[in-house]
Amino acid sequence: MTIEVLGTGCMKCKRLLKNVEKAVEETKTEAEIIKIEDINEIMDRGVMLTPGLIINGELIVSGRVADVKEISGYLLE
Amino acid sequence: MAEQPVCSCGSSCGEGGPTEGIVQRLIFPCAGVANTGQLTNCAAIQLTEEGYGKAACIALLATGAEGIVRAAKDADEVLILDGCAARCAGKIADSLGICAEQSIVVTELGIEKKGSREYTDDDIETVVSAVWEGEGREE
Repeated sequence: MTIEVLGTGCMKCKRLLKNVEKAVEETKTEAEIIKIEDINEIMDRGVMLTPGLIINGELIVSGRVADVKEISGYLLE
Repeated sequence: MAEQPVCSCGSSCGEGGPTEGIVQRLIFPCAGVANTGQLTNCAAIQLTEEGYGKAACIALLATGAEGIVRAAKDADEVLILDGCAARCAGKIADSLGICAEQSIVVTELGIEKKGSREYTDDDIETVVSAVWEGEGREE
């Protein structure tokens, strides 16, 4: 599984990354977590509002922080 | 507070941005005078900046002001942050018939209540992380 966390480094982006790391740990998911901070790369993925969460190429969340429980749900689908 | 990087979250990180489909939460910190109470206030502000919910005034709630009571009852979720086992904020909410979906007591997170008002960034992170991780929710 590939998880991309999109954000330029604000508090919300950092929190989403932490929540993703926690969810991966709790669900024992084999995943590569990639942090994308370049605004052009972010917009290339169609994300206009950060933070963004992409799992296996699918945009899951944009413009808000998902909590650990919500992210765990996506990982277990 | 350190200057934030420029971001594209549609706001100054915390205000505004998209709201559709997002759980609307009110956060009531006890805001007590000891370190743990002061910590609840700081955590509530950080949680607001991170988009978890909106910090609200427990003192105003205690007065029974109609607007804040209605807002608390209309919110999707209420988060209570209490500094210690006295659970002042929780008791205020209970007395007004406000049911909290999430309730956290700082001393139960391993942070000791002291005579001082000093706390660290790590203490804030402990509380804020616990909230995001869903601690204090009824299973």
